[in-house]
Amino acid sequence: MPSVIEVEAIVTRFGAQTVHSGVSFSVERGTLVGMIGASGSGKSVLLREMIGLLRPTAGRVRLLDTDMWGAAPDELDAVRRRFGMMFQDGALFSSLTVAQNVAVPLREHTRLAPATIDALVALRLLQAGLPVDAGAKMPSELSGGMRKRAAVARAIALEPEILFLDEPTSGLDPITARGFDRLVRSLVDDLGLTVFLVTHDLDTLLTVVDRLIVLAGGAVLADGPVGDVMAVEDDWIREYFSVRRMVAGDRNGI
Amino acid sequence: MPDAPWFTVLAQDGRTTMRLAGAWRLPRLPEIEAALAGLALPAGATVDGSALAEIDTAAALVLLRALQRADAGALAWVGFSDVNARIVAQVRTHLEATLARPAPPGHGVLAHVGRQTLALVTLLHGHVNFLGATIAALGEVLARPRRLRLRELTAQLEQAGLNAIPVVALVTMLIGIVVAYLLGLQAEKYGANIFVVDGVGIGATREFAPIIVAIIVAGRSGAAFTAQLGSMRLTEEIDAIRTLGLSPQQVLVVPRVLALMLALPLLVFIGDVMSLLGAMMIAGPMLDITPAAFLARLREGLDTRHVFVGLAKAPIFALFIAVIGTRMGMTVGRDTRAVGAATTSTVVQSIVAVILLDAGFAVLMQTLDL
Repeated sequence: MPSVIEVEAIVTRFGAQTVHSGVSFSVERGTLVGMIGASGSGKSVLLREMIGLLRPTAGRVRLLDTDMWGAAPDELDAVRRRFGMMFQDGALFSSLTVAQNVAVPLREHTRLAPATIDALVALRLLQAGLPVDAGAKMPSELSGGMRKRAAVARAIALEPEILFLDEPTSGLDPITARGFDRLVRSLVDDLGLTVFLVTHDLDTLLTVVDRLIVLAGGAVLADGPVGDVMAVEDDWIREYFSVRRMVAGDRNGI
Repeated sequence: MPDAPWFTVLAQDGRTTMRLAGAWRLPRLPEIEAALAGLALPAGATVDGSALAEIDTAAALVLLRALQRADAGALAWVGFSDVNARIVAQVRTHLEATLARPAPPGHGVLAHVGRQTLALVTLLHGHVNFLGATIAALGEVLARPRRLRLRELTAQLEQAGLNAIPVVALVTMLIGIVVAYLLGLQAEKYGANIFVVDGVGIGATREFAPIIVAIIVAGRSGAAFTAQLGSMRLTEEIDAIRTLGLSPQQVLVVPRVLALMLALPLLVFIGDVMSLLGAMMIAGPMLDITPAAFLARLREGLDTRHVFVGLAKAPIFALFIAVIGTRMGMTVGRDTRAVGAATTSTVVQSIVAVILLDAGFAVLMQTLDL
């Protein structure tokens, strides 16, 4: 399986503070990878470096065989159309309706007829699990869960190969969150997307993620299937998963 | 035929087969869509995907829509790879819903005018309510002075009053110079140089200074009030104030209204002095009026009632600017764009209010013979 994301020896420093001291991993096509780490371990910073918003102090990021910090501007533009990003609070444009938000990438980057764009926007909303009428609403009229779904609809508008999600289930009720997990899983299984997500939701990690990367102390502490990561002898990892073990234990009457 | 035929339709032994070929992906979709225009298939035809390299959901949607337009009825789908069949199947489940498009609501001119009028009436109605609530809150503070938030009041006095002095002084001095210059050009023709002092004195203290200073303050402080309270509303700070059992009216509105009502008359006085100073500066070289002669004439020509009328208008202007600014901030919509829109609206409304009030004062003073 070819790698679509390659992160090589990323070092990040803000002044005297070192956030990453050599982070490396790669992600294969068609997998759903989760990243966890304590607050302040630089997850969001790494995500921003991966999608080309923030320049790392040293190291290389390759998305779809394009060096995000060495490519020519037009190459970068081309690769930006091949991945989508869902920001934590959706980052929907507040002056546009939901449908107009989803249509922005389609109008900017394709030469499709308006009627086709309308149909595609409706399809994206449905794929993201929203009713078509939600398209007429303004972002401020949506609930948190709907806003995140609308953001996914916009992120997948151009049929991206990679989808990045920043805390996709934070602030959602458990039922909505599990629905969101199923949506993300179906994007991977049915459409063959590669999904990279940063999360703290143990249910997401335990049910839908193929592989888990743990970021701690500026480097990758553990990397592998969730079961293997849970078995790693490390205080932080043990504590992280202990809550879940306790709940599971209660349920089993232990 | 294009160099990359996206599909071929073959009729053989009474059976029609549509053979798809190539990679049906979003970047090539306009071509595919053009090729699909005018597609006609008989019922019961076969769609053969064995030569289809890949298809994405956008292309699948366009294909399914074209087949639906062709009214082909039930079709046999053969030869699709697992991945492609899954993608087509997923899009097919959503197809009906993408077709059911709600008609956009009508946007007639009449409807627009009606909506805007209603919005204006609601806005003014809200302002009147808010003005009442603010005056009631001010009354409460007068009755129980301990309720006054002194720290907030002094902070606002500094921001709205002290920090506005440089810009107010500069602008009013320039206005004084310009008015004296233009009046001087006319007065010189009649040899009536000395009457420029009367003109500038009455004009500046009674009208120009109050209006100009009020407009500057509307732009500075009115906008700031809306932006501050609007951001506080976005971050739910105003809700927090209410939940803690405090009155946003007392905590946020009263100190701002009071600060502006105290600061504006003082700023207008500075404006009076600076515009007269500006006029005096240009009267010397242009009209041969020495500063001593200027001041002597000012004592005779400028009745103090004009200055008092100008100063008396200031607190009323301030009340309206502060009420508009705080109310627009407290009722701002809950998204970032709304704060910007409300701030703009505050400045426009405040300036209109100041000029309307001034017109009202002009009529009132005429009637009262002041």
